[in-house]
Amino acid sequence: MPQTTGALAERFIYALDQLAQAPSFVKSKYQTDVYQEANRLIDADDGFENLYQHAARFEEAGVFQDGPWESAEKLQPPLVAGSLKAKGLPMIIEVLSELRMLAIAEGKASNTNVTRTMAEEFLNEVMVLNLNLLFPDASESARIEKHENDEKAEKLFTFLSTHLSSTALIQTLIHEIKRLTAQRPIMIKRIVSMIRMAKEMVSQDTEKNDTTELKQFISAIEGPSPLSGQFKDVHAYRSQLKTIPRADLISESVALATSMRDTGLVAPHHATLLRFLSKQNPGLLTYALSLNSKGSANLEENRELVIQLIRSSIFPGTRQAVYGLAMMLERGVLSHSPVAPGLRRLIELDIRPDVRNALYSTTNTGEGVTANSILVAGTIQVLGQPLGVGQGFNPTCQAARGISLWAQHAPGFLLEIIPRAARDGDLDFTFEGAQIHSKDLKGGLAPDLDKELDPVSLVLVPHLDKIYSEMMTRVALRGEDGHRWVNPAFYGNWVQKGFSSVFDPITGYVLDYNGFIKLFYATHHPDYNDDYELIYPNPVGIFITNVHGKLLGLHAVSITRIAKDPQGIYRIYFYNPNNDGSQNWGQNIEPSVNGSGEQEGESSLPFDAFTSRLYAFHYNPYEQGDAYAVENTIVQNIRTLAQESWGRDYTWV
Amino acid sequence: MELDQLELNTSIEEAEKTKPYYTALVGWSVQAIEAAARMNRPFIVVGPAEFQPYAEKHDIPFVGWDFNKLNEGSDQLYKQLRDMGAELAVPLYEECVEWAGALNARFREDPKVFNRSLLLRDKGMMKRKAQISGIKVGVFEEARDKEDVERFLKRVNEALLKLEGDHFDPIHVKPLDKAGSVGHLAVYTKEDINQIQDTDFPLLMESHLDGQEFSCEAFIHKGKVQFLNITEYVRLGYSNFVPASPSLEEKRPLIEKAVQQLVDAFEIEYGVIHPEYFITQDGTLHFGEVAARVPGGHIFELIERAYGFSAYEAQILCSDPSTTEEELKEFFPDPYDYQNYAGCLMVHPSIEYVEDLKIPEELEDHPYFEKHDMFTPPQGKVAERVGFGNHYGTIFFFGRDSEEMRDLLETYETYNFYI
Repeated sequence: MPQTTGALAERFIYALDQLAQAPSFVKSKYQTDVYQEANRLIDADDGFENLYQHAARFEEAGVFQDGPWESAEKLQPPLVAGSLKAKGLPMIIEVLSELRMLAIAEGKASNTNVTRTMAEEFLNEVMVLNLNLLFPDASESARIEKHENDEKAEKLFTFLSTHLSSTALIQTLIHEIKRLTAQRPIMIKRIVSMIRMAKEMVSQDTEKNDTTELKQFISAIEGPSPLSGQFKDVHAYRSQLKTIPRADLISESVALATSMRDTGLVAPHHATLLRFLSKQNPGLLTYALSLNSKGSANLEENRELVIQLIRSSIFPGTRQAVYGLAMMLERGVLSHSPVAPGLRRLIELDIRPDVRNALYSTTNTGEGVTANSILVAGTIQVLGQPLGVGQGFNPTCQAARGISLWAQHAPGFLLEIIPRAARDGDLDFTFEGAQIHSKDLKGGLAPDLDKELDPVSLVLVPHLDKIYSEMMTRVALRGEDGHRWVNPAFYGNWVQKGFSSVFDPITGYVLDYNGFIKLFYATHHPDYNDDYELIYPNPVGIFITNVHGKLLGLHAVSITRIAKDPQGIYRIYFYNPNNDGSQNWGQNIEPSVNGSGEQEGESSLPFDAFTSRLYAFHYNPYEQGDAYAVENTIVQNIRTLAQESWGRDYTWV
Repeated sequence: MELDQLELNTSIEEAEKTKPYYTALVGWSVQAIEAAARMNRPFIVVGPAEFQPYAEKHDIPFVGWDFNKLNEGSDQLYKQLRDMGAELAVPLYEECVEWAGALNARFREDPKVFNRSLLLRDKGMMKRKAQISGIKVGVFEEARDKEDVERFLKRVNEALLKLEGDHFDPIHVKPLDKAGSVGHLAVYTKEDINQIQDTDFPLLMESHLDGQEFSCEAFIHKGKVQFLNITEYVRLGYSNFVPASPSLEEKRPLIEKAVQQLVDAFEIEYGVIHPEYFITQDGTLHFGEVAARVPGGHIFELIERAYGFSAYEAQILCSDPSTTEEELKEFFPDPYDYQNYAGCLMVHPSIEYVEDLKIPEELEDHPYFEKHDMFTPPQGKVAERVGFGNHYGTIFFFGRDSEEMRDLLETYETYNFYI
């Protein structure tokens, strides 16, 4: 007969007592039994309740001693999911650790380094990051990636959610949605799934403010206008459009456009409306896109082309391109002479079968959108939202940075390489006089590209990634940081030829850091650089550090602007291709994505804070200001920040 | 000398005498450290350097040492330990036996202690010594290369009057200085010889011994066996239980005599030994080999479960010459005084890739089942087995009937816990 929960709980208590009594050096001998018994309880009915009764004792007894979970203050919410999915021991200890956090959050246990609030915030964040486990959705990817431990994790999260305040949870969730939408990414899948989950969580006791905010997001994807709210089904909505008078069409257009402008999210009805207007009432398009004067002028100038683009690429399945189209018109990209023919070429381009299949995978099946439509819609988005390009789960920040830069400053070039890759399966770059063809190359940083990317990236990244790697390989033995030569060749002449890095190329030691800081100030900071403005984005290398300031790795971002924020402080505005521009970098350095003068898609940091994470940048050797004038206190502050974070992993000379 | 000075001197002398001396635990075993701490004995751990950070974190007095590197540094180690106040050394695993021997030779000022410890580290020397002392052993020889092995296999089978085409009786080969069953191989044919690794030479070859194999754990003080445990092997390296079943236990007087004979022959004075024997139906004992360290197969844990005393404490107690007879008497129970059998099954995956762990409910619900220490493994290739050391997990049983215990161990020995 299987043992009852009561019997299992007794065995667990016995094991925990044994562990608690053991001297510190012999805990490991008794931990195994505690984990074993905990595992049995996790599987039992009411097991979590039983385990939780003793959670206040876990730390003191030594449940986490000498392991990765030892210090509660060092735990990180993003790592929880991985442990829960891992089989065996990590899952068990992770569960016990969550219960420990809950005990701290509820004041049942105390921890000198973690307060009640901190513990609660930790758990809220864990919940938000793992909402798919709390509300298993039926999405394709969730189904395919089903893990064996999901059931246990679901049980855990259900248990935690009964103890945590749903208000705090919904607030965290709304905060997370706002944080992500503020950056206006092209790929919105994650945002949409978070909104869907938040919708399920709303209950009677949810605070009114929260509900209002949440409703805005929910309707943004489901139908934010009077008519779309009434006719959720796009077929019915389309029929209705034919029946309403012009005045109602205008208010319908304004309502949809307002929601889109507020959230960056497009409802499927919006695409339907745009198609309808382009045929019946093109004069109203400017309302439906809520264009500013520059946008309207651009629309007027290119009306035939815009209508053609809408007909060939804007469908409910590619609805986010509505936002891209509005932004593209306001950026005036269509006025560049190569853009119009470049876009027209894509409509009828003969796309290779492999690229065709990759493009199809970006929309749901059964929507009947052609690969060309998807590619044109994607191109519109990239041209409209150059800072919305993301690298997805791939280590291809360089390629994303390139697409973003070209979309901003060289749309003609971008429109040349897209058909090359989509039709010919090849890109060629000239590097120091030699031709590099991507079709002849193997490998690259991401041989198994994650396909969760926008259409243009899907087409280009496999080629760009290989070319960039090949260029870096060719300069690998020059005894200097290869980015010096590769960046100008890869991105184009917009990149300055001067280059400075913190590393001594031969030894890898940090060399003359003070000089590095001063040079950066003298070439970039308006107080010291003789007022030379930054004209093109500067591709720079940064150290990515975690919330504790520990070095995680190197990353590529682009400085887009340097300007005073509303408080009058100089900030560096930058494009971070990882589309999660507000991760906490430790030492109170937390990039902001809105509220400090950022444009859509930009992250920003005060000038000195950003400098403390910089490891390489380009500069114009003919535009240097006064390096000597940079105050020592500024340099010393930055040096301290650097030495106490990423600097711990390097030798300083 | 002034009077007050004299007084001062005596008080120092007294302090020296009553000063608690330290026990050096040679090797690394948290169980042994726990035992020493529980006995309130001051101790120093002499262990591999990689344990230094752990020792520091938990305030364990620690000296880092590389046991595999032969050097002249034992004198330096001795002086370091002496200065710290150590007076005896207890070996915890195979590679530490001669180091503890060298240290104890200095502590006790008896150089022979070291030579005796070497006897336990060379399986050839061990056999020869046993044979000289009149202990029954198989035919054995040392081999330096594969040709030696081939010749020995042939000659043993000639002596057994095997004819051309008959199946050969196997011979067994084992490296001279490896722990337990590391590198042990049964050779039936010439082809088997190719499986021997070059690094296993020099090795000991011996004829196959018939009969039931078992091990003893003898706790020795002042050259006398204070307590003898008999461990019954269900399958060598896979399962065993303590104490032995009645049919083997009834031979206890015979076994006790044989073990004492071995202790006398090897001039072992203090500590624990772990000899292995083969016994035939008619009660003839053949000596296999002997080690002077903590035995494998969780035998110390089983002894604790069955007899209720900590074998680690017993080892430390018996390693200390100044332990009194009263202390020993009080410590050890009557070997016939046990209620239940304690057994364990060591699990090793029978497949190359493990994906999941499956513990049958009937096993967990069996009244003899106590606990196991297996967790669902992260997916991956199974490590190759070296000796019987790196099993994936252990299942512990405890129950009244030795036949039931044997059945359980045999039943689950072939069960695939890992799939």
